[in-house]
Amino acid sequence: MFNLAFENFNEILYMDGHGIYVWSVYSIGTFLIFLSFLIAKKSIRDIQQKIKIKNASS
Amino acid sequence: MLMLGWTWGLLFAPQDAVQGNSYRIIFLHVPSVIFAELIYFFMAVCALMHLVWRVKLGAYLIKSAAPIGAMITFIGLLSGSIWGIPTWGTWWQWDARITSTLILFIMYLGILTLHGSFSNLEKADRLMSILVVIGVVNIPIIKKSVDWWSTLHQPASISVSGGSSIDPSMLYPLLISVIGLGFTLISLGILSSRSYIFIREKNKRWISENV
Amino acid sequence: MLRLVKAESFKLSKKLKSWLGPLLIMVLVLIAFPLSIDISQFDLDKFYFSIIIVSLLMTSFVATEGMFEEDFEDGSLEQEFLIEKDFYKLVLSKIFVYVCLIGIPIAFIGALFSFANGVAIGSFAKVFLLLSLSNLLLFNLFAFGNALSINKGAMLGVLSSLPLALPVIILLGTAVRSIQFGDGFAAIITLMIGVGLVMSAIMPLIISAALKTHID
Repeated sequence: MFNLAFENFNEILYMDGHGIYVWSVYSIGTFLIFLSFLIAKKSIRDIQQKIKIKNASS
Repeated sequence: MLMLGWTWGLLFAPQDAVQGNSYRIIFLHVPSVIFAELIYFFMAVCALMHLVWRVKLGAYLIKSAAPIGAMITFIGLLSGSIWGIPTWGTWWQWDARITSTLILFIMYLGILTLHGSFSNLEKADRLMSILVVIGVVNIPIIKKSVDWWSTLHQPASISVSGGSSIDPSMLYPLLISVIGLGFTLISLGILSSRSYIFIREKNKRWISENV
Repeated sequence: MLRLVKAESFKLSKKLKSWLGPLLIMVLVLIAFPLSIDISQFDLDKFYFSIIIVSLLMTSFVATEGMFEEDFEDGSLEQEFLIEKDFYKLVLSKIFVYVCLIGIPIAFIGALFSFANGVAIGSFAKVFLLLSLSNLLLFNLFAFGNALSINKGAMLGVLSSLPLALPVIILLGTAVRSIQFGDGFAAIITLMIGVGLVMSAIMPLIISAALKTHID
C-alpha cells in the first residue's frame, strides 16, 4: 500500500501521458484555495487597520 | 492532512486498471464536490437560524461561506471537466451531474449577486436567507441526479450507508483528502467570517475594544 | 380576494406590453424554429419539444419581469400591506391572473403550433395540459425571483430563480418522453398537478415574506 507507484521523477510528472491533466487540476485547485486564504487574511488586516485608525482618531 | 491525502493519492496509490493515472484527479474532485453540497447545506441551516430566530450571525456566516462554496464548486467543475478529457474524450457534456453542479455554481453566484445588489444590508441579509432556504430543494436533486437521469457520470463510489466500491489503497487517501479539505475549508471559513464580522460590526464598541 | 383578482386583471389588461409581449415572443420563436432547420424538416417533431421548453422558460420569464416593480414604485404594495397586513392574497391573485391571461394563451399557442411541427393531432390536449401546468410552475418560480430582485433588474431575477426551475425542467423532460412514447402520461401529469397545487399554496407565502422585507 505504501510503495511508490512510479519509478522516477519523470514518470511522476508524465504519468503515462495523463500528467498534464492531473498536475494542472492540482495546481489550479491549490492556487485557488491559497488565493482565498490570502484574500481573507488581507481583508482582516485591512479592516483591522481601519478600525485602529478610527480608534486613534476618536 | 490535505497534503498527506494528496501525496498518498498522487504518489503511492496504485494506478487504476481502466482510467490509468488520470483517476488521481479523484483526490481533489470528489472532496470538492462533496463540500460544494455540504457548504450549501450549512448555509441553509444558517439561513433558517437567521429567518426563524433573527440571529444576525446566521446571515454573516452565509455571506462568508458563499464565496468559498462558489470557489470549491468551480474547482469541482473544472477538475471534472479536465478529468473528462482523457476519460470520456470530451471536456464538457450536458450530463446530469455536471449540469446540476453548474446550477449549484449559478446558485452561489445568485446568492452573492443578490446580497451585493442592496445597499440596505439588513434587507439584503433577509432576502439572501430566503433564497438560500428555497434553493436547498436543489441539493437532493443534484445528489440523486446520476440515479434519476441517464448519464455519462458514474454513480457515487463511496456512500455513508452502503460501503464503497473502490479498493482500500485508493479509498484511504481519498478519505484523508476529504477530511483534509474539510479542515482547510473550515479554517478558511473561520478567517473569512472573522473578516466579515469585523466589516459589519466595525462601529460597535466590542470590536473597537478587541482590535 | 375577488376584489384583488378584478383589480389585477384590469391592471394587466391595460399593460399591453406585459401580456402581449410574451405571446408575440412565443409566436416568433415557433415560426422561426422550423424555418431555421433547413435539412431535417422531417425531424421537426423530435426537436419541437426542446424548443417549446426553452420558449416557455423565456416567455414566462419575460411575462413575470416587473410583476411587482410598478406596484412597489407607485406605493400600491405599501397600501396593500396597510389594508391586509400580508401579501399572500395579492400574490396568489397576481399569479392566478398572470397564468390565466398569459400562461394559458401561451400554452394554447404552443399546442396549436405542435401540429405544424409534426406532433400527432391526438396529442393536442396532452400538450396543452402539459404547457399550462408548466406555466403555472414557472410563473410561481419567476414571481419569486422577481419579488427578490424587485427593481434591481432582470439579470438578478434570472440568477436567483433559474436554478430553481431545474426540477420543473426534469418533470417536463419526463412528461415529453411520455407523450412521445405514449405511456405513463397520466402519472406524470398527476404529479405535476400535485406539485403545482403545493407550489401555488406555498410560493405566495415565500414571495409575501420577500415583499415584506422590501416594504420594511
